[in-house]
Amino acid sequence: MASGSKDRADSLRLGFLTAVELHDGGFVGGLLVTDRFGRPLEFQCTTPVRANRTQELLYGPTLVPFIVGELIGKALSDRISIKPTLLLSDRPEMLTLREHIDAPVLCLTGSDRASASAASAEDEENFSSAVGSKVTLGRVEFQTHAEFPEDAAAAQQLARPIDSKADLSEPIERVSEALKETMATVGGKPKVA
Amino acid sequence: MRNAEFEMGNPEADSQTEIPHAEFRTPNSDAPGPAIVTQTISLTPRVDIHASGANVALNRWPNIECSEIDAGIRVGTVPAWKPGWGRVRTVMLTFPEAIQFLPPKEEPAEGELQTVRPPKPKRDSEDGDAGSEKKKRTRLKPPSDALSLEDRLFYILQPPLETTLAGQELIMPFEPFPHQYEGIGWLFSQKHALLADEMGLGKTMQTITAVRLLLRSGQVRRVLFVCPKPLIPNWQREFRTWAEELPIVTVEGNTDRRRMIWSMPGVPILMTNYEVLSRDFSEMHEDDRPKFDLVVLDEAQRIKNRDSKTAEVARDITRKRSWALTGTPIENRPEEMASLFEFMEVVPPRATPDLKQLSRLADVYVLRRVKELVMKDMPPRLDRDEFLEMTPAQNSAYRIAEKEGVVQLNEMGDQISVANVFELVLRLKQITNFDPLTGESAKLDRLVADMEEIASSGGKAILFSQWTKVLDWMKPALEPFGPLIYHGGVPTKKREPILKQFKEDPTKHILLMSYGTGAVGLNLQFAGYVFLFDRWWNPAVEDQAINRAHRIGQKDTVIVTRFISKDTIEERIDAVLRHKREIFESVLGPGDKTNVSLSLDAAEIFGLFDLKAPAGKGSRMKKVAPKIPSESDQDAA
Repeated sequence: MASGSKDRADSLRLGFLTAVELHDGGFVGGLLVTDRFGRPLEFQCTTPVRANRTQELLYGPTLVPFIVGELIGKALSDRISIKPTLLLSDRPEMLTLREHIDAPVLCLTGSDRASASAASAEDEENFSSAVGSKVTLGRVEFQTHAEFPEDAAAAQQLARPIDSKADLSEPIERVSEALKETMATVGGKPKVA
Repeated sequence: MRNAEFEMGNPEADSQTEIPHAEFRTPNSDAPGPAIVTQTISLTPRVDIHASGANVALNRWPNIECSEIDAGIRVGTVPAWKPGWGRVRTVMLTFPEAIQFLPPKEEPAEGELQTVRPPKPKRDSEDGDAGSEKKKRTRLKPPSDALSLEDRLFYILQPPLETTLAGQELIMPFEPFPHQYEGIGWLFSQKHALLADEMGLGKTMQTITAVRLLLRSGQVRRVLFVCPKPLIPNWQREFRTWAEELPIVTVEGNTDRRRMIWSMPGVPILMTNYEVLSRDFSEMHEDDRPKFDLVVLDEAQRIKNRDSKTAEVARDITRKRSWALTGTPIENRPEEMASLFEFMEVVPPRATPDLKQLSRLADVYVLRRVKELVMKDMPPRLDRDEFLEMTPAQNSAYRIAEKEGVVQLNEMGDQISVANVFELVLRLKQITNFDPLTGESAKLDRLVADMEEIASSGGKAILFSQWTKVLDWMKPALEPFGPLIYHGGVPTKKREPILKQFKEDPTKHILLMSYGTGAVGLNLQFAGYVFLFDRWWNPAVEDQAINRAHRIGQKDTVIVTRFISKDTIEERIDAVLRHKREIFESVLGPGDKTNVSLSLDAAEIFGLFDLKAPAGKGSRMKKVAPKIPSESDQDAA
C-alpha cells in the first residue's frame, strides 16, 4: 500500500449527521465524526430547537428545512472540532448545509433512507427535485445537493478507502439512538420512539 | 257622446296649468231645438296656501355640524420582523484515543486499502446466510450503572461489534457465535462483571476479545490477568489465537525478576497466578504496588473465601475495572458470591447480602448462559439417570457394610468426625460399583449391554469413574469394544496417542477415563455417548466431564448415562444435591440446571446416615468432599 493513500485513508473523517423530531415539534440534531472504520472520534448534539407559533406561520413549509439544515446542521458543523471531510445524512434538509461549507454533503436516497417510509409522497417529490447526482459509497446510495453535482465524484474519491460492503447508513442510526437517549435523559420525548 | 275624461298630472305641473273643465253637450247641437245651455264647472278643488309663517323654514336646508369622537382603538405597525432564533447550543463528547495496533497486512493492490476479513468457520447453518447483506448487529448497551449521559452515549455511539471485529486490524480467526458477541459487548461495557458462562461457551475468547476492544478504544491501557498456575499456558495459547498482536508478559522467575516485571512500564497485559500475586503484593509496599485499569480473575471461585489471603490481596489491587470469570460462581453456598461481589466492588466490605439481594445483584453484574439456551444449533444433550438394582451379592455386601459402618459410627459418640463418615461413604460407593468378593456388578452388566448396541452402530463412548482401579478392573469385560484407558497413571507422552487412536481406530469404541485426568481440556466431540459409572461429589465436575463430548463441533445428540444404584448412598446423595440445586437456581436463575457446583457439607454428610453432626462439626458448613479432581486425585479410596 502506498504511503500516500494510507495517509489519505487515515485522514479521512466521516461526519454522520441527522436530526430527530421531538414530540412537541422541536428538533435536536447530532453529528458524529468517525474514522474510516466508523469508530467514533467526536460527537456533538444540539439542545432542542423549537419554533414559536409566529415562526411556524411565517416560515410555512420552509420551517423544517430551515431548522434542520440552516440552524442545526450549520451549528453542528461550525462547532465540531474534528472537521469531517465528508458529511452524510439521512435528512434531505441537511443538503442545504452544503451551501455553507466546503466539504461534500450527501443524503441517503429514498430507498436507503431509514425515514423513507415516513416521508410523504410530496416530500419525496420535493426531495427528488432538490437533489443532484447519485453516488454509491460502500453499499449505500447517496445523492448530492442539486447545485453541487460534482460532489458525487469528490465523495467517491474520498471514500475509496472504505470497504465496498460497508453500511454507511449504520452510523446515522447510532446518532439517532444517541439523540433519543439524550432526550430520554433530559426528559424530552422523540416523536418516533 | 264623448266620455268624460279625467286626467291626473303631476301635482307640481297641475299647479301651473289650467285645470280642464268638464263639458256636457247634446248631439247635433247645431240643430234647432230647445236651446241647451252648457256650463263649465271646474272639478278641481281650490287649494290655497295658508300663510302660517313656517313655509320658509320648510324650504331651508338643516345646518349639520361635525366633531371628533375617541373610539378607543389604536392601530399600530411594526416596521420590521426579524426571526429571533437565537444561538443553537450544542453539547460535545470526545472519545479517548485508541491504542494503535499492528497495521493490516499489505495486499498487492494499486495503493488502495484492502479489507482483511476474518475467515469464517464453516458451519452448515451458515450457507443460507452467505448472500445476506444485512447481518445481525450487536450494539453495545450502556451498563445499568452508567448514570451520566456522556457515559451512556459513549457506548451507544460505538459501532456494532460485528463491524468492529471485522475491522482491518482486528483479525479474528473464527467468527464468534451470537452469544459470544453478546458476552463481548456486555463485558466491554461493564466495570464490574462476573462472566459465569457454562463451560465450553468460550469465556476465555469473550474475555480476550473484550479486553482487545477496550485496549483498542483506549478505555484501558494496563490489564492484569490472574489465573491458577496450570492455566497460564492455556491463556497464553488463547491470546495467541485470538489476539496475536497483544503483547503479554507473564510475571514469573525469581523475586528480582518479578519485581522488575511488575514495575515495567508500557506493558498492556500482565499475567500471573494467584500464588505469585499473593506473595508479591504482600511483600510490596503499598505505594510500590502496580495499578491497573482492569483486573481479571480467572477461576474466580479461588477468592470465594473472603477471609483468605488471596481474596484480600485481590481486593487490594488498585484498579478501575474488576472482572471475575468462573463457570461455578457458587460451589457450596450462595453466600460465596458475596465475596466475588466484594472483589467487584458492588457490595460494601463485609456485606452479607441475602438471597434476594444476591439475585438482584446477579441480574446486573452476572452474565451466565448455559449451552442448551444459547447453542441452538448444537445437538441436544440427553441425560438419563439409570437407577439400577444391585446384584444379590452386591446388595448383601452393601447392607452388611452399611449396617456395620453405622454401628461403628454410633459407637464413636462425640469422637465421630466427618472423615469417619466420609470413609464409610466411599466404601459403600465402591460396593455399588462392584462386589469386592465376587466381582459382580449391575452397572458393568448394564454397560456391556449398552456398549454392544453402541459398537454395533459404530458409535464411540467415554466413561468416567472416580477410581482408576475401577477402570482397570472393568477393562477385561469391555475387551470386545476395544477399550482404551486414559488416567493419571498413564505417562503424559502416551496420552495424546491414546486419544488419537480412540478417534481414528474404528475398533476402539470406548475410552475409560478418570474424572481428574479426563474432565478438563480435552476435545472429544466425536464421541456420542458418555457414561458416568459412579457419581462425583460435585455435579459441576461431572458436567466438565460430559462437556468433553458435548461441545462445539459435536454433530449428534450426546447421550449421557448416569448409573445410580437404587436404595444406596448414591441415591441419597443424588437427592440431596437435587434439593440444593433448586435453592441455588433462585440466585442464578432458571435453566441453570447443569452447572451449579455443589458439594455436601458436614451436616449433610452426617444426614446421609441419619446421624446428627456433633456440635461444632456440622454447623460450620465445612466442605468435606474431595477437592476438584486433579492429576493426582486417583484412587481416592
